[in-house]
Amino acid sequence: MNKKQFLQQLDDSLQKLPHDERRDILQDYEEYFTIGLEEGKTEEEIAVSLGSPRQIGKELSASHQVEKAHTTATARNVMRAVWAVIGLGFFNLVIVLGPFIALVGVLAAGWAAGGAFVVSPLLVLFSNLVNWGTFQWFDAFVSIALCGIGLFIVIGMFFATKAITKGFLRYLKFNASLVKGGLRHD
Amino acid sequence: MNVQFKKGVLELCVLVLLDKQDRYGYELVQRISDQIEISEGSVYPLLRRLTKEEYFTTYLQESSEGPSRKYYKLTDKGREYLHELIAEWHEFTRGVNQLIKEGEHIE
Repeated sequence: MNKKQFLQQLDDSLQKLPHDERRDILQDYEEYFTIGLEEGKTEEEIAVSLGSPRQIGKELSASHQVEKAHTTATARNVMRAVWAVIGLGFFNLVIVLGPFIALVGVLAAGWAAGGAFVVSPLLVLFSNLVNWGTFQWFDAFVSIALCGIGLFIVIGMFFATKAITKGFLRYLKFNASLVKGGLRHD
Repeated sequence: MNVQFKKGVLELCVLVLLDKQDRYGYELVQRISDQIEISEGSVYPLLRRLTKEEYFTTYLQESSEGPSRKYYKLTDKGREYLHELIAEWHEFTRGVNQLIKEGEHIE
């Protein structure tokens, strides 16, 4: 691989990064090639010693996505960060995807339960409309009580979702830096 | 040596090299690869991350031979972090050395 091919492959794998940052990264590697050539190495030798441009690109992208999800934690950004970190290697597939699916499952279950409780009076109403004449006061009161509990669950889930997202992003960040640079203490 | 492990050590190497003087990327990579076998390309992502964490600042300086080079300068925060890492490293190697010594004794 020569310099042009190396930089091209690196650039291709950095497509998710902002333009400025991408240019900055490419400049770093260009500088590396320039100095290496001055010292009498060939482009091929330098490219080999640098390693795979795709792997370098993956590391930089993952680091960027996690950073972004940290500043603006939208569902989309979080998903992207998760995928980027998973892409770093098989190791991450296991230790990132597993907890991620489990957490999403727990959150989804919580929201579903809360939501179902909240709409339960409507279900009673609907059931009475369909089977006219089966109305029981017991159903009505229980459903109203459930609705109240449901509201609490939904409020609780709102904060739980926020907290879990934040916690998981920290885990991702920790994970990305583990793969890239060993354990760090914040 | 294990790759994960080596990357952690790489961070320490970079910080140590910048402790006494500012250096440019190529120089850092060469200094390290003279001593340890590394994938040279992985140093730049590390430099970027540590710069974002405010352990370094960077500046451009003209070189006599060609285009200007990006120099890295250790900040106070970085120096503090370096000292933490060195202490950890000593503790770690002391522990491992002790285990090796004990292991040799039994044989």
